[in-house]
Amino acid sequence: MPQASQRWLHLLRHFVARDLKQRYLGSLWGGAWALLQPLLTLAIYAVVFVEVLRVRLPEAAGAGFVPFFAAGLWPWTAFAESINRAMGAIPENAGLLGKVALPSSVLVVAPISTGFLIHGLGFVGVMALLSLLGQGVALAGLLAAAPMFALLYLLAVGLGLLLAALQVFVRDLAQVVAQLLALLFFLTPIVYAREMVPPRFAQVLGWNPLTAFIEGMRAPLLGTPSPSWWLPLVASALALLLGIAVFRRLSRHFEDFL
Amino acid sequence: MSAVLARLEDVRKAFPHVTRRSDRIRALWRLLAGRPPADPAVVLDGITLEVRRGESLGIVGENGAGKSTLLKVLTGVLAPTSGQVELAGSVAALLELGAGFHPEFTGRENVEMAGALMGYRPGELRAQMDSIVAFADIGRYIDEPVKHYSSGMVVRLGFALVAARRPDLLITDEVLAVGDEAFQRKCVRWIEEYLAGGGTLMLVSHSMYHVQKLCRRAVWIQHGRIEAIGDVYEVTQRYLAAQETRIAADSAAAGQRGAAGLEFETRLLTVNGIGGGNAVAIDADGTIEVEAVVRSQGGRVPVLGVGIVRGDGTPVYGVTSEMDGAAPRREGADGFRFVLRFAQLALLPGTYTVRAHAMDPEALRLFDTVEQPFTVRGRTRELGLVRLPHAWDAGS
Repeated sequence: MPQASQRWLHLLRHFVARDLKQRYLGSLWGGAWALLQPLLTLAIYAVVFVEVLRVRLPEAAGAGFVPFFAAGLWPWTAFAESINRAMGAIPENAGLLGKVALPSSVLVVAPISTGFLIHGLGFVGVMALLSLLGQGVALAGLLAAAPMFALLYLLAVGLGLLLAALQVFVRDLAQVVAQLLALLFFLTPIVYAREMVPPRFAQVLGWNPLTAFIEGMRAPLLGTPSPSWWLPLVASALALLLGIAVFRRLSRHFEDFL
Repeated sequence: MSAVLARLEDVRKAFPHVTRRSDRIRALWRLLAGRPPADPAVVLDGITLEVRRGESLGIVGENGAGKSTLLKVLTGVLAPTSGQVELAGSVAALLELGAGFHPEFTGRENVEMAGALMGYRPGELRAQMDSIVAFADIGRYIDEPVKHYSSGMVVRLGFALVAARRPDLLITDEVLAVGDEAFQRKCVRWIEEYLAGGGTLMLVSHSMYHVQKLCRRAVWIQHGRIEAIGDVYEVTQRYLAAQETRIAADSAAAGQRGAAGLEFETRLLTVNGIGGGNAVAIDADGTIEVEAVVRSQGGRVPVLGVGIVRGDGTPVYGVTSEMDGAAPRREGADGFRFVLRFAQLALLPGTYTVRAHAMDPEALRLFDTVEQPFTVRGRTRELGLVRLPHAWDAGS
């Protein structure tokens, strides 16, 4: 392995360790919160959708509302949180970048990696729990869902690099993206099944690449129909290529604009 | 000739102007299109430098001359706009000691993390932890969060980390200006040992003492360009001479700014009857008589401030008519004449300047500055500015 990429990986490990330590040791609740927050979201939605609105999932959804929602919620949380934190990475570490020569891409990829690590573990934990409770979750499906989770990670890395680089120049991009992500949550079949959507809107959902990611992870766990893999593959590859290209071009000039 | 450790070739660094938001967007489009940002402010231009192994190079220059930018370009923190930067070997930069430290983590954790940033392998550093703690002299504080450290402790730990690494090239920016005297001495001693052991140093400092003590070569950066490079004494002396001239020119310009229309204005200033900047010379222990006329627009009685400064601007003495309760003699409708005598002037031989300032009656505001130089002649080997009265006990 060339020395530069070895140093990059070494630094990545270092910053992920630092990030984990910071989030878990910084405050008593910091770390627990990262695990609790999706659990709490799950509980709230379960009460509102199942008890208040009495939503009924179609047969094709494969399981009850809780496992159905959980299978999409953890990957989504990993994705959304990672993007949000990646966008703050460069300004947050401006002081460090001004003093120490290090590849700034590490600072962006580190919080994404931490997010996927924490919520990936949370995902496994919740699925194991639901399977124990007899909620119709096939635990072996986690193995089949893992490659899709990895693809989602690559998509987040690509988008994170792209947005983090643009954010240095366009300061309010972070707020805009945070709003768009909140919107995207409802444009992705996480809290509902695609089958519940009227046909004319269902097609729109198909254009959202995240739909394929979420459904692809849900399929092996709940036995729902499996979407094709080409969309996630192409989306991740494109995001990664674009993200790296833009970041390469702009990162040389970060220090001038921070 | 030993190997070149660092080479800068025709390096230019320009910062883009970003004042409005639209500037950032425009810069973004240009960069995405692969073009450089428009109309930049040039900070470094045409810098060509070589540092060989075992050399010690001091970098001097005024604030804002581009010294720090030069170091940042050299260490790779900043990318040069054009030109080449080549480094061979390990480089440690003390741009700001303890810069990467995180306040919530302990000293030990921070040293491990900073080590990772510097390119240490995880095990390598642990072996050196004891010597780092010893050098920093912070004892059990190493396991306390850095937020509980004093600023001196942070600096000591930062330096200890670099000292443990013994880089091929050490780059420092004014770090010797921080920390207490004892630690500064320790740092200087360490750098001397490091140089004696074949280390290479680039030092930015405003302290000519440190530069001359630690460096054999020096480069003088002025307005982003190399003004002089060569032997440390030659360069620092040229730099200091230019500094003195500039300071003197500045104060002369300030003196001429006695614009018309001021409420109070110094009209005339003479020393021993000679004015207009003409040469005045007195012998040591001689007398000078300062005479000034101040015009007061409203006819109120002004105050005169008189100061004596050495040729390079070092103040020697200052007094106002208000402090001494001295009243001027009225001349015409709005003129006031002050006469101030310094008998047996204790100034040592050299060039001095009398500065006169017109002030309001309350002696609060200073309206102008008028100068008249004079020379004190004499031969003496005494040092300093003034002769203080003194007496030696006679030996038997």
